[in-house]
Amino acid sequence: MNDSTPTNAIDAFENVTDSTDWLSTPLSGLSAVEAALRCQICKDFYRTPMLTSCNHTFCSICIRRALSSDGKCPLCRASDQEMKLRSNWSMEEVVAAFTQARPAVLEFAQKPPTVVTSREQSPKRKLDQYEDINGEHSSSQPSSKRLRSSTRASKSRSIEATAEIARQEADVQQAESPGFEPDDNLVECPICLRRMKVIQVDKHLDTSCPGKPEPESSPSRQPSKASATIPIVFPSSSSSSSSSSFRRQQQPPSKPLERLPALNYSSLKEVQLRKKLTELGISTTGGRQMLERRHREWVTIWNANCDSLRPRRKADLLHDLDVWERTHGTRAPTTSRSATLGAQIKDKDFDGAAWAARHGSSFKDLIASARRNRAQAQEKRNNEQANQKSAVGDKAEENKEDNGGIPEETEIADSDDGEVIDLTDLTDENENRNDVDIAMASSPHKSTVGTIPDTMDLSPGTTVIS
Amino acid sequence: MSLSTAQRRLLQEYRNLTNDPPDGITAGPVSEDDMFHWEALIEGPEGTPFEGGIFPAELKFPKDYPLAPPKMTFLGEIFHPNVYTNGVVCISILHPPGDDPNHYEEASERWSPIQSVEKILISVMSMLAEPNDESPANVEAAKMWRERRPEYEQKVRDGVRRMLGL
Repeated sequence: MNDSTPTNAIDAFENVTDSTDWLSTPLSGLSAVEAALRCQICKDFYRTPMLTSCNHTFCSICIRRALSSDGKCPLCRASDQEMKLRSNWSMEEVVAAFTQARPAVLEFAQKPPTVVTSREQSPKRKLDQYEDINGEHSSSQPSSKRLRSSTRASKSRSIEATAEIARQEADVQQAESPGFEPDDNLVECPICLRRMKVIQVDKHLDTSCPGKPEPESSPSRQPSKASATIPIVFPSSSSSSSSSSFRRQQQPPSKPLERLPALNYSSLKEVQLRKKLTELGISTTGGRQMLERRHREWVTIWNANCDSLRPRRKADLLHDLDVWERTHGTRAPTTSRSATLGAQIKDKDFDGAAWAARHGSSFKDLIASARRNRAQAQEKRNNEQANQKSAVGDKAEENKEDNGGIPEETEIADSDDGEVIDLTDLTDENENRNDVDIAMASSPHKSTVGTIPDTMDLSPGTTVIS
Repeated sequence: MSLSTAQRRLLQEYRNLTNDPPDGITAGPVSEDDMFHWEALIEGPEGTPFEGGIFPAELKFPKDYPLAPPKMTFLGEIFHPNVYTNGVVCISILHPPGDDPNHYEEASERWSPIQSVEKILISVMSMLAEPNDESPANVEAAKMWRERRPEYEQKVRDGVRRMLGL
């Protein structure tokens, strides 16, 4: 992530959308609408939404990751399994429709003045009229019958209107998007996508099918295009039949993707696991733990892709795995690398002798510098004690017993190799303080015995121990 | 776009907090080079001895965020039953549901991927107002809070004043 993040993160921040974008506009109510279309795990719009057994919806990849790490629904903590997830296609449609409309609506909402001036007349008057009608009815409350009938009337009117709009949209779809089945009683060959009569398909498959999509057939008819963009126009509510045909169209024609089963890693030998990874076409670097984690991630990515209406190519999935590899896997920086290093060393096949030979010089350096530090610390302490004794003199006689304990105690701390450097640092710091105290103690005012224990408290040994 | 899941999610949260910051809370990455290291400022809640104080804290996110919770540490001095003397905050929302040796925390209060920086900071703010002395991180503070409340409040107020340089 180190190499790619800096610029990306800044650029990406500008492109990140959030439900709170609406709050500063007059349409702040849409914030809640948008929040309901976002996954609670990734906080982004649902991608391939899936329903859990407890009827919560998450992105396929989010819930699969969560379940494979925890086995519980993140919202209600009910136990669940990946196998039981079901697609929430209605949600996917809503999200696709909303995200498509979003930029225009947001722009509209963010620049209300210009919009109002350009369209001042007609819509506003209509709105006023509408409000007038409503006001009339609400003022004449008792006639609730009339209110109901009139709402029904306006409802049916609006249904007519939507139906009309839907008809128009449907026409547009047919005209503009060749991705929808033309109503010509022909079907596509599942392999080369050529259109023909139903009875011809079998014979065509046996004899004349070229075995791959025909290059001259419209590219938008090929399912792979779908991965690139959101479909141009989403079918409106009334044209559900065309929407289902649209779905069928998005399924890959020939080979349906098969979900990968989860592996019981404990029952697999490392060699077998490596073989599995090779078969799947993913990297086999790293120790056993890394192999398991990589396999788990790949299964998650793969199965989430199987849930998708518009599955992506394997190359894209491998790219996702690559991103994961850079942040969590073998190529991850800092902390996770030391973790894999640890795993490497704990590995059964770990070659201790080779490791010692390879890192021998740095080990020697470390030992040498530790010894040096220790010697220096010892020397300093000796000097200090000598100084203290001479400076404080007889006055400190009664405290000598406390003082005498210090070197031993420090020795204990010293014997722990890790502490050596910290200890010297502390000694340096305390030495300065001691100088001041010693100066005080030996000042002509002749401090009382009572102040001397204070100086002792600051001596290096006691500080380190406490 | 080769951002990891965690980075994308953190960007998303940063966006959310920038657009709509909760009262008394600011938070964001220390530098845009590293989305995994945030700094936050929390105002002392009104009507508590922490009132008037502004408490800086740092948040460190794990690579598998939001599966695992971040770590939160107050950067300044803070005397509170649920904050270790080194500043590390100890509240249930920051604990993964797995390990709960004392069984004092409801599973529903623990970390889950649906939690967020915003929810953590709001929880910490309410923790300042209402310490939980069942699992003290700072035993001395917890004892004082339970047994000598006025002294505790005075000590907290003194701390706030020191921090503000008064």
